[in-house]
Amino acid sequence: MIHPTQIQDMLQAALETGGDFAEVFVEDRTNGQLGMTGGVVDTALSGRDFGIGIRIMKEHFSVYAYTSDMSEQSLIRLTKSAAKAIRGGGAPGTQPITLHPHAISNHHPIAIIPDGSQKRAKIDMMRRAHEAASQYDPSITQTSIGISNSIQNVLIANSNGLLVEDTRTYTRMRISAIATAGEHRQSGFRGPGAYAGTEFLENLNIEENARHAARIASTMVKAGYAPSGRLPVVIENGFGGVLFHEACGHGLESTAVAHGTSVFANKIGQQVASPLVTAVDNGTIPNAWGSLNIDDEGAPTQRNVLIENGILKGYLIDRMGSRQMGVPATGSGRRQSYKFAPASRMNNTFIANGASTREEIIANTEYGIYAKSLGGGSVNTSTSEFNFAVEEAYMIRNGKIAEPVKGATLIGKGIETLQNIDMVGNNLDHGQGMCGSVSGSLPVNCGQPTIRVSEMTVGGRKGE
Amino acid sequence: MNIQQFQEALFTKGREIGYADMEIYYVNGRSTSVKVLKGEIDQYTIVENGGLSFRGVINGKMGYASTEKLEPDVIDFLLEEARSNADILESEEQDELFEGSESYLEQPAYTAELADTAPEILIEAALEMERTALAADPRIVMARHCSVSIRENEVLIANTKGLHCHRRKSLATAYVYVIATEHNETVTGGWHDYSLRSVEEIDIADVAHRAVQEAVSRLGAHTIQSDNYPVIFRHDAAAQLLAAYTTVFSAESVDKGFSRLAGKLGQKVASEHITLMDDPLMENVPAGSTFDAEGSATRRNEIIKDGELRTYFHNRKTARKAGVQSTSNASKGSYNGKIGVSYHNLYVEPGTSTLEDMIRRMDRGLMIVELQGLHAGTNTASGNFSLACLGYWIEQGQVVRAVNQITVSGNFFDVLQQVEEVGNDLRFTGSCTSPSLKLASLSISGS
Repeated sequence: MIHPTQIQDMLQAALETGGDFAEVFVEDRTNGQLGMTGGVVDTALSGRDFGIGIRIMKEHFSVYAYTSDMSEQSLIRLTKSAAKAIRGGGAPGTQPITLHPHAISNHHPIAIIPDGSQKRAKIDMMRRAHEAASQYDPSITQTSIGISNSIQNVLIANSNGLLVEDTRTYTRMRISAIATAGEHRQSGFRGPGAYAGTEFLENLNIEENARHAARIASTMVKAGYAPSGRLPVVIENGFGGVLFHEACGHGLESTAVAHGTSVFANKIGQQVASPLVTAVDNGTIPNAWGSLNIDDEGAPTQRNVLIENGILKGYLIDRMGSRQMGVPATGSGRRQSYKFAPASRMNNTFIANGASTREEIIANTEYGIYAKSLGGGSVNTSTSEFNFAVEEAYMIRNGKIAEPVKGATLIGKGIETLQNIDMVGNNLDHGQGMCGSVSGSLPVNCGQPTIRVSEMTVGGRKGE
Repeated sequence: MNIQQFQEALFTKGREIGYADMEIYYVNGRSTSVKVLKGEIDQYTIVENGGLSFRGVINGKMGYASTEKLEPDVIDFLLEEARSNADILESEEQDELFEGSESYLEQPAYTAELADTAPEILIEAALEMERTALAADPRIVMARHCSVSIRENEVLIANTKGLHCHRRKSLATAYVYVIATEHNETVTGGWHDYSLRSVEEIDIADVAHRAVQEAVSRLGAHTIQSDNYPVIFRHDAAAQLLAAYTTVFSAESVDKGFSRLAGKLGQKVASEHITLMDDPLMENVPAGSTFDAEGSATRRNEIIKDGELRTYFHNRKTARKAGVQSTSNASKGSYNGKIGVSYHNLYVEPGTSTLEDMIRRMDRGLMIVELQGLHAGTNTASGNFSLACLGYWIEQGQVVRAVNQITVSGNFFDVLQQVEEVGNDLRFTGSCTSPSLKLASLSISGS
């Protein structure tokens, strides 16, 4: 992508004003996107993203610069203007930098590399999704299907001599169905994805996913509103793990923890969750949507235990967080592209299996909400107030799943909610999402078994 | 390779392989931003970045492809990918390239002085903003984010039908977000401002003081009982809500069956207090623009007039299908997307009441100042929303205390119909803004 001597020159120039570490991130990425509305192909886009980012650190301060102009003189000019922002001078780096190419082992085999020749086959797959969704129920009036893939080639080099390259291949299918009943409309969504090639789509049960999206739309369009107030909530396995992602995961990132502003700061060894909760962020799961061989700072990803039996065990730490906190990094430095400096981020985060079955959890709940399919959410890590949307929900009455209800947004505060988890199922599964934060939008898995929170605020509607 | 050379080489090669008409949409930008923390520079970011989208007609169909690299070796990629993308499109409605409008207004939006601001000025402004915020109130423990940025960008659209649209803009912004603590309670609040002319024009001290006020006034918050209450969406929360639902006004959404406003032209879709304008020709706003993504000269459009739906947002394709004129709302989400439909500078026309008057006239109710989780908690198909929010409890015309751990639920289309009063506090901060709006009743979930 770029000649190693050119990178060496950049790194050298970066340290001329007293910086103590410099890093280069080169990216060459090909994106493909196909879309179909109502069974008609209306979107076909291809793109090539290409650029380079350079980061210079001096103690706890960092400069980041990026460009898509790859000419040698432009790169050196940009590097020098970035280096000028290093304050406080100090001895300029005099050690010559020698890069040592480092081969990585690939844990994520790709069988069919996405390319332009597969467009027709992908359209057939989208059509299958459209047909399955639109035939699910007469209330389904529209569908929107998409397939996206990308191949991201990265080269990461730094002033410690590291030089690594890797290729990340992503494939995802998005299925939206809209149901109409009189004036009411409701949508349902399903978005399976993987760090994989086109084989992911070939092995995917497309019809089942399409019917799932259609079921959400057609059930919810006929549903009444969820009740308001504090209620027990049973959250289904899979993407239900977004609860942990928002309630806790973001608060464990060094970006939030290093300055002491997270409610989880300075709580290692303390009970922050119910003893039933063990939570892990694992960037090494083969071919999982949020996995990586190496993070975006060139460090191997790891399996990081965050909470064990309710006790806080660790944080997610990038290189800067490691400097600020004086602890080792955890392979958690991630960024959407060369347009972002890396930050500590989640990969595949999940709550580990417990002992209960889903049936036991439902049967043990006299009255509450069963959150079957979740949407996304957000959190303020300084206050730990989080929220997430329930796409498909039902009432639980007398230990049985009863009528569907819509509009059940769930809110809470991190530690309080984690401590209120009083049943954990044995059916761990993962769902795929995009996580937006300081270093951009990233693929992450959110996983969990079925769990119950004894009390949460449900944002339904009073009197309807 | 500069953009002119690239365009020439691309169009020449394109003609050779059978493209009839071709267009480039090119964006290029520079920015510098400084973030400070605890009296030191925390992050300093320099950006020089561009990208180009190509579209062209081949075998009677329009294909798209994009690149961030402007070198001879990507020309084949663009032409080949655009051709194979065109080949598989099934939609009957084809885009077509536009030769350009008769004339375009001039809009002064670029200031060389701003674009060349010395980094020291940004640094000093950011440090001063942080100092001011920390000194303003003993309960402020940290400025979690405190940054000052400048950016400039240019857009060039050029095609083989003779279109040549170019614009340059510059903008300075200051943003601060602080944390306040008292009695083991932590709250946050932020504020920002901008200038199209210079960093010095931004009242840094005012931004700091407002952020502090936003944070400390949220201390002492607790929830309220679930019930239906009268609600004021303060200008910022009102803008957030409106922004989440703007696609319902898009002719593309209407045509594809995603919007509940289908078939509602000429009908009353909002209270008579609501007039919704899109005015890209307004001067000195961040979202001004003299041409849209297809190169059509922009104009001022009334979307809703006194509650009546007057038009949807149209680009040339949706307009042709509907048998009307384009409202010049062609958009590109990013240079690498396809042509869609979106607004430029959308706002609800202000009324006459001050926010203070609106509060004074409220006997018992809630003022909402921040909505959270809009990407997930709003449904544009149904209009329903259920959102975590922050606000203030009002009794007998006075703010009594802050409220947190609540959600507000309702339906956007009902909200439009139920607006009883529109404030005079419109303040342009982005591309979608609103004054404060008062409603008779909304459902709040709390304890």
